[in-house]
Amino acid sequence: MSTIIYEIKDGIGYITLNRPEELNAMNDEMLAELDAVLPKAEMDLDAKVIVFKGAGKDFCAGQDLTGVNTNEVLSEPGEHMTIKKRMEAERRRNRRWEYIFNLAKPTIAQVHGHCLGTGCYLSMVCDITIASEDALFGDPLLRMGLLPHMPLWPYLIGIKKTAEMLYTGCYIDGIEAEKINLINKAVPRDELEDEVDKMARGIALMNCDQTAPLKDAVNSVMEARGLGACWRFTNNMQLVMQQRTMPTEEFNFFKVRDKKGLKTAIDERDAPFKNFCEER
Amino acid sequence: MPTGFGWDFKTQYKEYFYEHNDYREWDFQAAVYDKVNDRIARITLNRPDKRNAFNDCMYEDIGAALHKANDDPEVRVVIIRGAGKHFGAGHDLSSPEGEESPPVHPSVNPTLQDYYGFERRRCYKYDDARDYPKITIAQVHGKCIGASQIFAASCDIIIAAEDAQFGIRGFGSQLHGLTEYPLWPLWSNKAYAGHAVTEMSGKETVDCGFANKAVKLEELEKETLMWAETLSHLPSEAVAVTNEWISGMLDIMGMGGAQRAHYHAHTGLQYVRFRPEEVNMYKDKRDKGLKGFLEDRAKTATATSHAKK
Repeated sequence: MSTIIYEIKDGIGYITLNRPEELNAMNDEMLAELDAVLPKAEMDLDAKVIVFKGAGKDFCAGQDLTGVNTNEVLSEPGEHMTIKKRMEAERRRNRRWEYIFNLAKPTIAQVHGHCLGTGCYLSMVCDITIASEDALFGDPLLRMGLLPHMPLWPYLIGIKKTAEMLYTGCYIDGIEAEKINLINKAVPRDELEDEVDKMARGIALMNCDQTAPLKDAVNSVMEARGLGACWRFTNNMQLVMQQRTMPTEEFNFFKVRDKKGLKTAIDERDAPFKNFCEER
Repeated sequence: MPTGFGWDFKTQYKEYFYEHNDYREWDFQAAVYDKVNDRIARITLNRPDKRNAFNDCMYEDIGAALHKANDDPEVRVVIIRGAGKHFGAGHDLSSPEGEESPPVHPSVNPTLQDYYGFERRRCYKYDDARDYPKITIAQVHGKCIGASQIFAASCDIIIAAEDAQFGIRGFGSQLHGLTEYPLWPLWSNKAYAGHAVTEMSGKETVDCGFANKAVKLEELEKETLMWAETLSHLPSEAVAVTNEWISGMLDIMGMGGAQRAHYHAHTGLQYVRFRPEEVNMYKDKRDKGLKGFLEDRAKTATATSHAKK
């Protein structure tokens, strides 16, 4: 295992995203390893609470956009796949979030640096998110013509803020994220680890047989408000999104990437929004 | 489909309300449609002497304008704003006979079935604005009360003047809360406040997540245009799908049921019996005129208002 590190210390399980040079971007390999480690962590009696964190300077910059080894993690528009294959891929994608959301064990996301796109989704499906004040949260998927596909957005931050985050794609820092209820708490960067440890050790005092039903009861409130149907609906909308036509005069992220490279594509993607997001 | 009860039956697979209106021959009276540039359309609610209050004509003009903007492939973002000093004062309480926008004139003497028809048609209009496939931005200044607030809420983004006044008045103070729009609790996880707070400033609505940004009045237009300009760069089809995704999730979260509860409560309100000491709009209007009613209502509103001055 190389892109995911799993270790247990003092009753706390740590799952570390480990592609620090790529800002811990998620590629297919990381997903596969995540899929392998999650059931293990869930069953592990020695880990009473799971902490997700990122190696190096960032939590996770989201999907790996290189197009190499990313078939599973990134649904590029215009790919030639049958509806059935796409549907299955979308289901796996959202089932994974749903699985982490419902993991029979309390989960904490320890967020620093970039926390974007699917990285942000990972922090959202955890029960508790504690971040450094200078962490950056955001979901710029729509700028690339991809559907932002985390149904927890409106549940956590409300409708207007959801529209704002997804349409502008602007990043917000930890302090702002705490203010809009996206996370539980923002602390100075050098106190982050201590703060998470304190929280995790506190939760680890509790019996697993207490925390699991409690978590289920809390999540069932979301379920009663329709979250289950929202996952499914999101799958369907992903399919629609992939079938859309791309008007030739509009910016096409994937075409630019293939022609001029990833960095240029990201620069061109963000250019119209740069001033706006800075001034905001 | 006509039902013989004086209202049209709407199937579940309805047209959007704005698609009924053929804008090509439309005579805009209560709203103005213009284009800021190729990519940004603007609807200005234009009854400034009535504080842009909603009447039937206003709804129809907005429908035609939304239709026009939707049919224009260049347009990416639609701004909705009010002419004069206010965004809008809600329903026009002085609406003449025959209007179906509330308050329905007693001379209409609607049956319960008729009334359901009115209510459903109106609530679907807000739903349709919510489902509109392009990005909508409400540019709110001055008063944004009642139905006007609902319309602003149905837009994707609200940019407000800091001193804008959001709120709900109802037909009398005893109806506060009941007439409050069901969007409030869904709109923001922090604001279950709709039931307790009758008025909020633009700044307060941002704090509770109901609006996106509050700026000084003199900067409002510039700020709104900046948002519109920026968002107009998003891929148009992807925006339509994302919009449908968000609206669909809201329906799953109960927005459809909330709408229904809203118009049922509204219908129920038609049959409220007022106690002698309570302000009765219909009676007041008959005996003292609209102004007399507003004065009476203001007295009770002051006594119960939680608004922060």
